[in-house]
Amino acid sequence: MRILKIALTIVFALLLQLLLSNYLKFFRYIDLPLLVTVYFSLQRSPRLAILVGLLSGNGGDAVSGGILGVSGFTKILIGYLIAVVSIKFPLENPLARLAVVAVASAVNTVLFVGLYQMLEQDQVLNQTLPYVSNWAGFGKTVGWKALADTATSMFLFVALDRVFSEQAETRRMAIRRRFYE
Amino acid sequence: MTALTGQQKSPWILAGLLLGHVMLMAYFARHPDSEQSLLSTWIMTGFTPIARSVDWGVSKITGGIGGYADMRGAQERNVELQARLEELTQERDRAVERAADYEQLRAQLALPTRPQYAELAANVISRDTSLWFRRLIIDRGSSDGIKRNMPVATATGIVGRVISVGPVHAVVQVITDKHAGVGAMLQTSRAKGEVRGLDDGRCELQNISSSEPIEVGETVITSGLDRIYPKGLVVGKVERLEVDPNASWHKIIIKPSAPVDRVEQVFVLLVDHKDLTVEETVSK
Repeated sequence: MRILKIALTIVFALLLQLLLSNYLKFFRYIDLPLLVTVYFSLQRSPRLAILVGLLSGNGGDAVSGGILGVSGFTKILIGYLIAVVSIKFPLENPLARLAVVAVASAVNTVLFVGLYQMLEQDQVLNQTLPYVSNWAGFGKTVGWKALADTATSMFLFVALDRVFSEQAETRRMAIRRRFYE
Repeated sequence: MTALTGQQKSPWILAGLLLGHVMLMAYFARHPDSEQSLLSTWIMTGFTPIARSVDWGVSKITGGIGGYADMRGAQERNVELQARLEELTQERDRAVERAADYEQLRAQLALPTRPQYAELAANVISRDTSLWFRRLIIDRGSSDGIKRNMPVATATGIVGRVISVGPVHAVVQVITDKHAGVGAMLQTSRAKGEVRGLDDGRCELQNISSSEPIEVGETVITSGLDRIYPKGLVVGKVERLEVDPNASWHKIIIKPSAPVDRVEQVFVLLVDHKDLTVEETVSK
């Protein structure tokens, strides 16, 4: 049942990503599949993080029309790293979650652009990726994307906490036992 | 030897998956013109009917609200439009007469007749799903007869070309994408060049000699030399001209005639680029 709910969440995120960008121009700065990956990665299960990163990343590539596997690669890696860090450090409080989203968004953008550069070399920065023509522009893009993702996560994570309320409570108890008792 | 626990297996699963993704990326990067991936086809085939329904609902709601707002001042606008209609009717009659003369002259000179292409209307169901690509997704696909490289346009001008096709959807690369190129020429001087996309919703007409006289507001049309867009489709108008006395080429900025950034309905010209003969593409 839980896996089904997670799968439906990923499908819903991909569908929203496809639909909302048609009506809201700023939505291009938001990466819902990444936010879903971060949310489930914070549940301290590397295998779940890998699975969610795999599905949402490759689904994102399929929807956006980019090279298949690029977002899959970045989201699997980011999901796994967050899950491993969340086992060692308490990342449950809202401020820590926001910081994780901001860092994850920045790392995701850098990895994504880096992989495109590696795959298609120098022509990519001027052509396939029109928003990245110099380092200052790239830094600005990373910043705006991190800001947009972090702001969206404030609402999305609250909604997901409600949907997965049982798991969220169990997780909080486990973290309390692990770090504070 | 003890069996690995779930926790211990994770790094190995991660390494295997990352390696698999490197191979996947390498394959798709080496074959950028290959057919759409199976995953993309499956996902988009499932999502397109939902997106089409949402688009229909949103357009009904916004259309209703917009229609109510438009009622204000409708009477004055009606009078204006009646006058404009009369002007345009006269203009059309003159154009029809000129077209008949033109066709007669073409027939006398034994010039080949220009083919008329069938058109297929489509709705834009998604655009620019991420920051990195300037693409539209339309609700028509291979089941409607759409193929790669077919031109996409509105009544006012070209929008782009189909770059990928699924059974019920197609991905359109817009002319303002930096990756896009269109063979084009100036309507008055017939000087030929190439249109390239810019970041800000504009295009640049390149390779036009600085000795060519050009005026702001001049219309740019397709030249047909790219063997994708048939000759004579409107691309846009010259918006800005940057003159450098030492440069060999003009820097010409074009505003696309079609509202590329906010287009909702388009039509696909059912042109197979293999059918565009050299005579058809280069004849004036």
